[in-house]
Amino acid sequence: MLSTKQLILILQGLPQTLAISIFSFLLGLAIGLPFAFIRAYMSKPYQIIVDAYEKVFRGIPELVLIFFIYLGVGLELGFTPFKNPIIAATFALGIRSGANQSQIFRGAIRGIGEDQMAAARALGLSRLKAIFYVMAPQTFIIASPSLGSEYALLIKDSSYAFIIGVLEIMRQADRVRAVTLDMVTPTLVATFLYILLTFPIATYLDMWGSRKKKQLGL
Amino acid sequence: MTQTVMECANLWKIYGKIVAVKDVSLEIKEGDIKLIFGPSGSGKSTLAGCLAMLTTPTKGSVFLREECLTEPGVDLNKARARIGFVFQHIWLFHHLTARGNIELGLRRVMKSPKKEARERAMQALREVKMEKWAGHYPAQMSGGQQQRVGIARALAMDPEIIILDEPTSALDPELTGEVIDALRDLAKKGTTMLVISHEMPFAREVADEMIFLDEGMIVERGPPDLFFTNPSSERARKFMARLIKRTRRE
Repeated sequence: MLSTKQLILILQGLPQTLAISIFSFLLGLAIGLPFAFIRAYMSKPYQIIVDAYEKVFRGIPELVLIFFIYLGVGLELGFTPFKNPIIAATFALGIRSGANQSQIFRGAIRGIGEDQMAAARALGLSRLKAIFYVMAPQTFIIASPSLGSEYALLIKDSSYAFIIGVLEIMRQADRVRAVTLDMVTPTLVATFLYILLTFPIATYLDMWGSRKKKQLGL
Repeated sequence: MTQTVMECANLWKIYGKIVAVKDVSLEIKEGDIKLIFGPSGSGKSTLAGCLAMLTTPTKGSVFLREECLTEPGVDLNKARARIGFVFQHIWLFHHLTARGNIELGLRRVMKSPKKEARERAMQALREVKMEKWAGHYPAQMSGGQQQRVGIARALAMDPEIIILDEPTSALDPELTGEVIDALRDLAKKGTTMLVISHEMPFAREVADEMIFLDEGMIVERGPPDLFFTNPSSERARKFMARLIKRTRRE
């Protein structure tokens, strides 16, 4: 069994895991939402750029991306922010999440259909205002279950940051393993923590989204 | 002299090889109620969409008062805010309550302060007898109630003209009455309206002019009495006979 001290050591990875997941999710949102609307409403060249972005970043293994950003752009090319492994990992996960979220939101926009846009334009709203006040809120409701899964994915994938030395949950668990030579318990503790972080939020968003969709007839 | 609110001249809308609207000219004066009818696929909805500049006409011009909307560089958002539009399939915003649906245009287009927008929205809901439903979402209302909110949404913007594209045709027959009643109230208040509808008793009661559209063209136009007694074109005669028969059956 682990001592309390060792348990606390693993728990000390929590802030790093959370920071990487939350900020990469927000970065993904900042990329994905506008990209989805660009893909839906702007001309062909812009659509191609979004498509290419999605294909490239969904196609690269996460680990390769993290190595490239941290070792390549950060250490080798000397881009200072990426010399910090937490920032490098957050960025790498965030740009991949942007590709995922772009696809999630695009599906939601398609689900809403053109009529809502037409009704908004008929009132005299500009396209941008129509997106902001009519399309985006509905997009969020429709996409909420998928956004929950995306968040869970980021919590899990934040464990890749272990490779570049971030002291997140996985790394801490490994350190405890190295000291105690217990191959099972530290990993089980980490497993438990990951489930605790992913399950409630993903489930809540799924339930909230389904209820809201039903209520609004979306 | 009454002023012309809306006018279109030699309007064409062509989709690829299909001519949806063919050389249509009409003029709507203040307080006018024009009723457009005709078989499905005759270009009624396309014409309505072109007049509200929701679709760009291929050729011809649309005027709102003195302003030509088909000229490049016109602020169409501003123009659309002055034209009320009620859709066949209603299209309320799903995520907003009845009141929220109405407030959106007032707040974000007319830039009304929150309190004023709320009061105006409630007033518009009262006009269609939907004030009790202000806090309900569209999915919680019947089709007829939704369409009344749709009318209130257009009304609240104080448009210079309201264009209604078959406001009752997507509704169950037992729900059309309440919508027609709301339109009748608008007519009594002297609202300038262009209505696409096949509700013949309503047409006879309120319309100043009926316009029969077929294959994108105005085939015949005149006061309702002309159509109900002796339309001069063969096509209008046949179509009227069918409509009247259907109305009797209902």
